[in-house]
Amino acid sequence: MSFLHQFCLFLYDSYVGTTIRESTNLFPVIETVHVLGITLLVGTVAVMDLRLLGIVLKDEKFSDIAGSILPLVWIGFAIMFVSGFLLFWSEAAKSYGNVAFRIKLVLLLLAGLNPLIFHSTIYRKVDSWDDAPVAPVPARISAVCSLALWAAIIVAGRAIAYGH
Amino acid sequence: MSTLHFLRWLLHTHLSVEMRNSHWDFAIVEMAHLLGLAGLGGAILIVDLRLLGVVLRRRPVARLAKDLWPILIGSLAVMLASGTLLATAFPLKYYYSPAFRLKMLILALAVLFYFTLHLRIVRSDPQPLSAWPKIAAVVSLVLWLGVGVAGRAIGFY
Repeated sequence: MSFLHQFCLFLYDSYVGTTIRESTNLFPVIETVHVLGITLLVGTVAVMDLRLLGIVLKDEKFSDIAGSILPLVWIGFAIMFVSGFLLFWSEAAKSYGNVAFRIKLVLLLLAGLNPLIFHSTIYRKVDSWDDAPVAPVPARISAVCSLALWAAIIVAGRAIAYGH
Repeated sequence: MSTLHFLRWLLHTHLSVEMRNSHWDFAIVEMAHLLGLAGLGGAILIVDLRLLGVVLRRRPVARLAKDLWPILIGSLAVMLASGTLLATAFPLKYYYSPAFRLKMLILALAVLFYFTLHLRIVRSDPQPLSAWPKIAAVVSLVLWLGVGVAGRAIGFY
């Protein structure tokens, strides 16, 4: 048995995992937080991506929008991470072998890499395109990847409940 | 034809049977419903947080709302269409579900409030110091949050 599998079984059998799983209301409450957190994380990310693509807020500087909206994205991320980890904690033994769960983790990793690449490349030269209604091609590619990845993460997340 | 007559008829339509019996139909429509949630929730949050003076303070509210309007209406359309399909799968079950009834009630209130009073306040480009825009933003956030919570509760109660 792999270390990861053992770790998942350990979480599953732990006090916290068992408490969430066996409670009548804890799981639904945490899941509601996780689902509605989508608006705070993905809804806000999508608005920034659509700005890069020149679809919304065209006459606003990108750095102004990013500066204003990024704190919301981070709050959303914190809520999603904590609630998501608690859900995983209670189902870890099942999640380990769940194909949709594994796909979701890989997609999350890619969705995290995307802004890292964006910030260390095209965003360094943001002064030269901040005012442009449509961002340069590399930034637009990043935006399309972000929209596709987050949509796929939502789909994979929902599929976890249907998976085996 | 009464509501129950209609729902019994709906239960036996091809669409309802298909949505109920197919392994993936319901799941796929649910996924579309969640994608719509991201867009709708994002647009509502940003406009209401702007009314509260939390984000994009330098941008006039009316212009911000006008810019996000297509996301709002597009996502709402996706949610209404996918939601109707989901309800078609189990019409009688939802008819008797307290969570479903509550959701429909709050949804009606949220839509009514958002597209009348809230819209009027947003379009009037309120100044930052007045209280009504903030009250409208809080009422909107509470109503839409209620729709979401009651919606998630349908799956459990």
